[in-house]
Amino acid sequence: MNHIQNFTKGFIKENPVFVLLLGMCPTLGTTTSSINGLGMGLATAFVLTMSNLVVSLVKNQIPDKVRIPSFIVIIATFVTIVELLMQAFTPTLFYQLGLFIPLIVVNCIVLGRAEAFASKNTVGSSVLDGFGMGLGFAFALTILGSVRELLGSGAIFGIHLMKGDMMLVFVLAPGAFIALGYIIAIINKLNKTA
Amino acid sequence: MASKKESTFAHMVVTLFLVALIAALALGSVYVVTKKPIALAKKKKQEAAIKAVLPAFDKITVKKFPDADGVDSLQFNIAFRNGKMIGVAVNTYTNKGFGGRIEAMVGLLDDGTIYNTSVLSLKETPGLGTKLEKKKSNFPDQFIGKNPATFKLKVKKDGGNVDAITAATISSRAFCDALQRAYDTFEKEKDKLK
Amino acid sequence: MNMLTVSASPHIHGDYLTKKLMYGVVYSLVPAMLVSLYFFGFNALRVLLLSVFFSLLFEWLIQKYLIKGPISITDGSAIVTGILLAFNVPSNLPASMIIVGALVAIGIAKMSFGGLGKNIFNPALVARVFLLISFPVEMTSWPKPLGFTKNLSDVITGPTPLGFVKDGISSGRNISELAAHMPSYIQDLLGQTGGSLGEVSAITLIIGGIYLIWKKIISWEIPISILLTVVVFSGILWIIDPQQYADPVFQLLTGGLMLGAIFMATDMVTSPMTKGGQLVFGFGVGLLTILIRVWGAYPEGVSFAILLMNAVVPLINRGFKPKRFGTKPCLITLT
Repeated sequence: MNHIQNFTKGFIKENPVFVLLLGMCPTLGTTTSSINGLGMGLATAFVLTMSNLVVSLVKNQIPDKVRIPSFIVIIATFVTIVELLMQAFTPTLFYQLGLFIPLIVVNCIVLGRAEAFASKNTVGSSVLDGFGMGLGFAFALTILGSVRELLGSGAIFGIHLMKGDMMLVFVLAPGAFIALGYIIAIINKLNKTA
Repeated sequence: MASKKESTFAHMVVTLFLVALIAALALGSVYVVTKKPIALAKKKKQEAAIKAVLPAFDKITVKKFPDADGVDSLQFNIAFRNGKMIGVAVNTYTNKGFGGRIEAMVGLLDDGTIYNTSVLSLKETPGLGTKLEKKKSNFPDQFIGKNPATFKLKVKKDGGNVDAITAATISSRAFCDALQRAYDTFEKEKDKLK
Repeated sequence: MNMLTVSASPHIHGDYLTKKLMYGVVYSLVPAMLVSLYFFGFNALRVLLLSVFFSLLFEWLIQKYLIKGPISITDGSAIVTGILLAFNVPSNLPASMIIVGALVAIGIAKMSFGGLGKNIFNPALVARVFLLISFPVEMTSWPKPLGFTKNLSDVITGPTPLGFVKDGISSGRNISELAAHMPSYIQDLLGQTGGSLGEVSAITLIIGGIYLIWKKIISWEIPISILLTVVVFSGILWIIDPQQYADPVFQLLTGGLMLGAIFMATDMVTSPMTKGGQLVFGFGVGLLTILIRVWGAYPEGVSFAILLMNAVVPLINRGFKPKRFGTKPCLITLT
């Protein structure tokens, strides 16, 4: 697999949300609007890239039996850094995402890439993999957030296309499941025909 | 991988110790860097909330008073302009909301007239109780410029002067309760403010 | 396809065709339909026609262009879904919302799962809950039944009896204070109360239910166990504190309980197969209904209760398998 593939596979072919179905908790919980989805996705992308970088750097120094706790500490460190930075510089987004920022630690996709890819590959490809996967995650969350915001409140990125609310159910939890289900169905259909 | 460290006890302890140490150092330094911006962002948030409910001021002093029914205490942000008290922004609350606690900020002028209100946090039903928020409906506008001494803070159904939100009487009632609590406490503690 | 796998003989020929069953349900809904026309006038007709027409249209469109399979809109199931959806909404609901409801019922709740017989949840109820959450204002402003005489644009809305009681108790009043403003039981029975199209008149729904049981389209287990559970459970609460909890008769006659118990919970696709399972299912629906009505956020809980129990039907079916003939005395007979 070459570098370009390492980077691009995260978008559609191995998209963490739409194809691998990893990290469902923040996916369903934070995508009430496009901006929330994008913010959450970028925060995760940052953590994913940095943790892949560090894990692939230190992979040979870490004994096998303690690799998971070490990975988790590394990931948790980056998550806390993101949390502090967001609290300082994007407070509005921070209060909207709230609990879901610290929960990036337990996002399967982050540990999954560290364990499945970064601990077995070179630094360069790990960073590309993490960045690609992270952008794929951000892409998926933004799409889902946009669909939910459009159907739920008739707006995209906070710009109202029509007055008043639309189908509120899409802003709530059941709408997240319905929207995600149909997006996955469409992606499957596209992957099959492609 | 030949170069990988073996999982001996000493290796594991040393590795975990080092990982934790580096993580702690990284977090510590980020914390020091972001401490000031975070405090600033928090202060700005509170100030913006006060500004939204009171006319222009140049100084704020904060006092706490037990509320009228003596269960909790309310924070009074007393605003001064040129050394003269012009009003109070009261952090008030109610537990009678449809989804529990609603926190609001009420700006009262020195004679008790409501200057403006804003909702700080609520857990009401989306599309119904969330209309308490300014950007969602004009329900809160009806309180502007009213003095609770003459304007009865009760929904019309209960014999008051407030137009309730359609299909959200409970939320409307709760909001009135929060305003009444702020006003009652204000009336009781009026002399201690100046 | 294993349609040709059959068990050993003897077999009895059953006359249960989908079409026959579905049109039977339609006939049984006629009395309730007439009452809703009488009380809500042209608006009721408008809601009914829109709902049925768009249910059929979406079923046809999806079968023709998305599934590309055989078209089965004449089997009557979409008509039943359309009527039941109409029965679950207030008569002044805007047309766009009825269309959304029909799309949700047919598209999301039925066709996404593979069509008739494969859906987990009752389509009409999924649509109702979807609409209730999406458009809370429109779905909870119930026009008063005024009949044909009044001007269409001048609809007076008021709470349902259940909503009235819930609101009253939450603002600290007790039942006897509220009773003066509530419709009498006779009014509840006949349908002279605020509410959705099909839930207002208990008596016509009971007539429809008796017809269905007589024609053996539904079995008595589900409706009776739901109603019995509601009576017993709300009766216990009522005995504990008659000022705080409404009495069992009120609980029986108001809201969508009759409609849900007789027409929605008994949907063959989404209810358990064996008699024992049906009793458990009914008990669950009854219990959840009262729990939601008394302590829940919404005044009415039948639709949520049925959907929640729909979700556990596969589990119930697993627990109540029919015994194989010969292994043990056969206690559960199949209809």
